[in-house]
Formats: sequence, structure tokens, C-alpha cells
Amino acid sequence: MPAIEFENVTKIYGEDTVALDDVSFTIPEGEFAILLGPSGAGKSTMLRVLNGLTEPTEGSVLVGGEEVQGNRSDVGMVFQEHYLIESKTAFGNALTGALSRNGLLRSALGMHSERDKRIALESLQTVGLLDEAGQRAESMSGGQKQRVGIARALVQEPALVLADEPVASLDPKAARDVMRYLKKAATEKDLSTVTSLHQVNIAREFGDRFLGIRDGEVIFDGDADDLTMEEMDRIYYGEGADNELSSDPTGTDSVPDDNDAPNAATNGGEQA
Amino acid sequence: MSSPSADASVDEKLSVLERLRKVRYVLYILLFVAVVGIVYWGLGFVGFQAYVVADRFPAMWDFISTGFFPPDFQNFTIYTKDRGITGLRAIAASFRDFGQPIIDSFGSSRQSLVKASLVTLLLGFMGTVLAFPFALILGVLGSERVTPFPFNFIFRGTLSAIRAIPAIVWIFLYIPIGPPGQVTAVLAIATDGIGNLGRLFTDDLEEIDEGPIEAIRSTGASSIQTVSFGMLSQVSRSFIAWTLYILEINTRIAISLGVVGAGGLGLMIRNSQDLFEFQQTAAGLIMVFIVVLGIELISSRIRARLRPGEHSGKGFVEAVRDLFNPKKWLGVGDRQP
Repeated sequence: MPAIEFENVTKIYGEDTVALDDVSFTIPEGEFAILLGPSGAGKSTMLRVLNGLTEPTEGSVLVGGEEVQGNRSDVGMVFQEHYLIESKTAFGNALTGALSRNGLLRSALGMHSERDKRIALESLQTVGLLDEAGQRAESMSGGQKQRVGIARALVQEPALVLADEPVASLDPKAARDVMRYLKKAATEKDLSTVTSLHQVNIAREFGDRFLGIRDGEVIFDGDADDLTMEEMDRIYYGEGADNELSSDPTGTDSVPDDNDAPNAATNGGEQA
Repeated sequence: MSSPSADASVDEKLSVLERLRKVRYVLYILLFVAVVGIVYWGLGFVGFQAYVVADRFPAMWDFISTGFFPPDFQNFTIYTKDRGITGLRAIAASFRDFGQPIIDSFGSSRQSLVKASLVTLLLGFMGTVLAFPFALILGVLGSERVTPFPFNFIFRGTLSAIRAIPAIVWIFLYIPIGPPGQVTAVLAIATDGIGNLGRLFTDDLEEIDEGPIEAIRSTGASSIQTVSFGMLSQVSRSFIAWTLYILEINTRIAISLGVVGAGGLGLMIRNSQDLFEFQQTAAGLIMVFIVVLGIELISSRIRARLRPGEHSGKGFVEAVRDLFNPKKWLGVGDRQP
């Protein structure tokens, strides 16, 4: 059974802002999939639809064969800005992943089962932060915080982990570290993961499968070998655009940041 | 090189800005004249005659310097009261036998400065503790993030109504429960505290980040779990800091309620004043000074520790040790940048 099935999914925000336009694809179990595309292409919407933070306007989204309805504890989410509780320790933040397994009174009193505590520490170990378990989030570096964010998702014991630009606000070294730990966790626990990324070089290094998204449509679907420079141009600059990326004299792996990327359907920026 | 047309537009802009500046000056002057005018008129209205007050100042000085000095701590403990030990010697005498006279005074039903100080501290403390849960509930429900607009205004309105009435009026409203005394003082301080603390809680909650809330929601947590972990965890430290601040204020309120009969230092000051024992009044005022300043110093040290970043990563033991570090108290410590 595939981990994810998107069947003719359309998402329209407000009156006529089309974020996803009749998108269909499947992702098999255990695959490390990466979403590529300019800002506003629909990557975040795709992830939000997958974990039930947003409902599709049309079509159906199945995770593990079940229709997504509301937030599901078996779908872990890693956010761009980590979204930790700064005053809590790494351990305390990781344990919030176990909230759905805990009764209200027990969680209010901070009582977690022995098993949950063990899972939280094991998850921190998976992301290389066992020694920092007692450290408060506010005193951690950006990369460490993001790894705690991954641990929190792992504590949910998910079948699927989603990551929305998990390394966008990190320096290249910290970004690689975070991706390495995410990949390690996915491999160890045989998780399916979907990660949206801007850094193409990092994406190539870690991804099994790549989905190129532009204007709410999947315009590329393949592995690293298929992801040629021409395809990258098509994803980031559209059909028939000048080959700005492949003619970039500085190298092949830097993609312009949000401000430079040509507009996509949802942000209505200036057309290049 | 700038072109003539550019010069013209610069001149134009300059004259507009100059004009605006002049208008602003005129407005400031008008505002100043209005404030001075209202004060002048108000002084006449309440019968305040500056030269009369100025004439009376020497008498005021005589009253304080001869009447209040030296402060008489005879009422410091029952021990000094009964043995007629007066002045500052009473304090020294009260610390004999490892402070046994002080401990005895706490247990006695008779009035003494140390017991009155304890009563004042307890009134403020109990009022704050009683206020906290109600302030928390009303404050959280008053936040637009928890209760949708306009229903949150039911709770915000309740808090505003409570806040509109000061504690010294609440103690008279509680007369059906009992005369102005220690019991009604606790209720009055608590009621007043609910209004003030709840408002601070609500305001704090309006400013928290959406991110952690979404993160907690995405784990599949229930909505109450989302509120308590996503929202309250973010503000827990500032809630404690605000509660300590309200404790400081409540200690002062306890003193003013004492003057109208709620006991504690306020009552002792009024009694000594009524008996024209001004040297004992002075001793009472010094005790007020010590109690209020003590609470403020402890509370401000704890609040400084709660501020994010300043002491991050420090353990509890170090925190306690900091309390005994004079450099920290004076603000010349090794503060992290």
C-alpha cells in the first residue's frame, strides 16, 4: 500500500487563488521524497493538506490508505522555524509529540508514561542530542532546535514525516546536519518522508525521489538522474524562460532566494 | 549634479516639512498652556494655596524632626513592649536567644511590629495566591485566541469591571461577610488582584507566536492540550513574573487596607498616630520600608532570572547562589551581554 496517495487534489484559497491544481501522485512506503519549486508554487499547501492543517477543495488525500481528516498523530511535522517552546528543555519539547497518547490530566500534570519518556530520549539520541536533553530550547543553536523538532515528530511514532523547508533558516553546515539526521531517522524507522526544500544541492544529496512543483501543478517527477539542469530551469523559471540557472557562472547548485524567484500563481509578484 | 527641477521639488518638500514643524510647535505650546491652566484652576478649585503650604513647611519639618525622631521600636516584640525597652535597642534585644522574642511575638495574640509585618506580608501573599487561579481562567478565556471575538469580551469585561473598583472599596463591599479586618482584606486584595493579573495575562496571550501552537496541534493534541502546551507554555514564565509584580503591589495594598482596619502594619501606624506616639509611627514606617523593599528586591531578582537569555542555561543552585551575590543586587554583576 502506498504511503501517500494524492488523487486529483485541488486547493483554492479565497475566491480564485489556486494553490494546487488537480494534483495526482503516489509515494510508496519508506521513500524520502523532496518537493522542489519556487516560493508560492504550492509546496507548503501540499504538506498542510497532508497533515490535515488545511482541507483540499476537491479530490482526496490518503495517508496509509486512510482519508486525511483533521490533525493526525501518525503524521509528524517539522516546521521551518522549528516552533519549539523556548522555555522547555529539549526533552520536554520532544515529549509534546506524545500528547495525543496522553490523557488531559496526565499531560497537564506533566506525567508521561515510562515508555513515552524512553521514546523521547531515543528520538533525541537518533538526532544526536541525547547529551543535550536537559538543555532549554532557548539556549540551543538553530540547527539543534531543528533536530529537536525532528525528535518531537519522531515521538509521535508516525508512519509519515513531513518537513516544510526544514533547513531554510540554517547555515549550510547546520542544514546538512539536520538533513543527515532526518534521513537517518527515516532510514532507521523505515519512515516515509516528504520534505520541501530550496537548496537544490542538499536536495540531490539526500532525496530518493523529486517532485517539481510550479503554479500548483506537478511538472516533474523522477529521481536524481532525471533532475537535469534543464528540468531545474523548467521548475524554477517556467517553460521557455532564459536558462538563467544553467548559465549561472557561479555554479550549479544555488537557487535564487524568495525575492529573486519569478512569481508563482499565489504570490502575485512581479513577472521577470 | 542636481537639475533645476530637482532643486525646485526639494525646496517645495522642504517648505512643506517646515510648515508641518511649525504647526507641531504651536500644538505643543497650546498643550503646555492647557496643562498649566488646568493645574492653576484646579489648585483654586480645591483650595490649595501655595503660600500657605510653603508657610507650613517649617512646622512640618519640626514635627518630623522632633516628633518622629528617634524612632521608637518599643512595640517591636511583646518582650520589648513588656520590659519597656525603647528605641533601636529594642531591635537588638529582640534577637536574644536566637530571636526567641520574635518567635514568641508571632504566636501571641497581642500586637507587635514583627507580627504586624508578618500579617501584612501574609495578606499580600494570600491575596495573590487566591487571585491567581481566577485570573488565569478569566485571563485565558478573555484572550481572542481562545474565545472567539466578541465572546471573549464577556471575560475581558468582567476583568475590567473588577479592576474599576479599588481594593480599598472592595473591603467595604465585603462588609456583609465581615467588618473590615484581616478576612475581608484577603478577599479584597484577591478580588483586586484578579482584575489586574487577569488583564496582564490576557495581554500576554495576545502577543504569543502562532508557530508553537500550530506545532502542538499538528501532533494530534486535543484543543485543551493545544491551549495548555502551545499557548500557556510560551507565557508561563512571564505569568510568574507578572504574579510576582502583583505580589509587590498587593503588599502595599495590604498596608493601606491596614489603615482602614485590616490589621498589620497599616493599623499599627494609624493606632500610634491616634495616640500621638509619633516615634512609634516612625518605627512603623521603617518597618513598612523594610517589608516593601524586601519583597520588591526578592521579586525583582526572581523576575530578572525569568527573563529569557539573561541567565539561560544556569541551574537552580546557581540561581539561589545569585540571591546572595551583592553584585547582582546592585546591578553591577557579571551580566551576560
